[in-house]
Amino acid sequence: MPPMNQQHIFHELDKTMNALKDSVLLMASLTRQNLERSVNALLNRDIDLARSVIGDDTEVDELEMKIDQIGMDILLRFHPVATDLRLVITSMKMAHNLERISDHAVNIAKRAKKICKSSEAIETTIIEPLYTKAEKLLRDALLAYTDANPELGQGLKPADAALDAEHKQVIAMLSGRLENAGPRAENLLHLIFVARSLERIGDLSVNIGEDSVFLSEARDIRHEHRKSPEAGESQD
Amino acid sequence: MQATLDPKPSSPAPSAEVSVAIRDLCFNYGSSQALKDITLDLHKHEVTAFIGPSGCGKSTLLRCINRMNDEIPGTRVTKGSIHIEDINIHDPSVDVVKLRRDVGMVFQKSNPFPKSIYENVAFGLRMRGVKDKQVIDQAVEESLRSAALWDEVKDRLQESALGLSGGQQQRLCIARTIAVKPLVVLMDEPCSALDPIATAKVEELVWQLKNDYTFVIVTHNMQQAARVSDRTAFFYMGELVEYSDTKRIFSNPRVRKTEEYISGRFG
Repeated sequence: MPPMNQQHIFHELDKTMNALKDSVLLMASLTRQNLERSVNALLNRDIDLARSVIGDDTEVDELEMKIDQIGMDILLRFHPVATDLRLVITSMKMAHNLERISDHAVNIAKRAKKICKSSEAIETTIIEPLYTKAEKLLRDALLAYTDANPELGQGLKPADAALDAEHKQVIAMLSGRLENAGPRAENLLHLIFVARSLERIGDLSVNIGEDSVFLSEARDIRHEHRKSPEAGESQD
Repeated sequence: MQATLDPKPSSPAPSAEVSVAIRDLCFNYGSSQALKDITLDLHKHEVTAFIGPSGCGKSTLLRCINRMNDEIPGTRVTKGSIHIEDINIHDPSVDVVKLRRDVGMVFQKSNPFPKSIYENVAFGLRMRGVKDKQVIDQAVEESLRSAALWDEVKDRLQESALGLSGGQQQRLCIARTIAVKPLVVLMDEPCSALDPIATAKVEELVWQLKNDYTFVIVTHNMQQAARVSDRTAFFYMGELVEYSDTKRIFSNPRVRKTEEYISGRFG
């Protein structure tokens, strides 16, 4: 069913729902910004930028709590059903996923800060392809949600699989260099953790994509690979 | 089944789990058509909620099921049929008084008779000609227990039913209805005048009793429909717009009009 455009008779519900949607959009925008800035801090050895990402995460945390509060308020006061109910549920879940993505951005910024302070040179551009893939996954997941585009939300798994494959390659490469790294070993370990965060951001973006499908079509596509007969056979 | 309609089966025979089969039903108040080609099955041991805006036809349909509309001059079924347990309720051989015993009704406003609590519950049995006091005593106690009212009234059975609270009176009406072991219980906004506690008691009662009866409940309270019913039918301007599993109706209705109504976007 296409999204409802008609307003509720009780305008206070529209007002509260709009406050919920606006908060989610703001949180999504800040989270994307934090991720972008954390990677830029790493690539450009910009310690001030890394510090500001760490500081700005508080705003994302507060928005998560605000979204939960508005969601609870709507459930309590308006007893939403159908699309309205799904919007409240997915918004609260999205806020949780965004908060975790922003935490990963903070992790990247913290690693960037340590690398900035190190006198050893390190080839940070190794993680750039991973970032490109993770960032696109996040962007598409958010678009699927804001544009009510379930096809886009459902189609994120192949991109996440490509990110996982890239992650494995990067980890193998960095681990291979560790043995003879000497004093550069610490920075290589930092990059391994950065790669891990980017891989997790891909997974969390897929979660958002799945929630966008539930929002638009009331279909729960989580863990679908486990439900398929092929998956059942392979597990046996 | 302990209660039966007059045995004159005619087609179409409802399937095993269907208690009430409504087919292409059209109904008029004079020249005004109130129901348009309604087709739906009401299932045994389930609660079905009828929802929709005022004037949509949900109460009219409810009252068609026990032919209560027959009492209103100028009304008539113009097309279609209602079968209960294989019996066409509009068949001339159907005894309407017996039909209304098999299809009990609980109204918006509780309507106990100005008699004792005991006599209210015993009334239907006495009308059926039951005279054995032991049988009536047992039926009164069973019905009041089923209606979760026994513990509250067992020591004052001979007191006037009018002295009970609104919620107790409504449960007494339910006890009176089930005392004659009907097949179907129709409820027309049974909780609209009750406080939340009394409402919860009636809803709990419906949930407990649905194993023995087929319930149909007309309600304007969407949360009540979502809480208490297994299936929900949404009506609009005399038409059945959508009929489905209640969880489906309230989480992902197929028809836009349904979603607009249940989410308060109507009009």
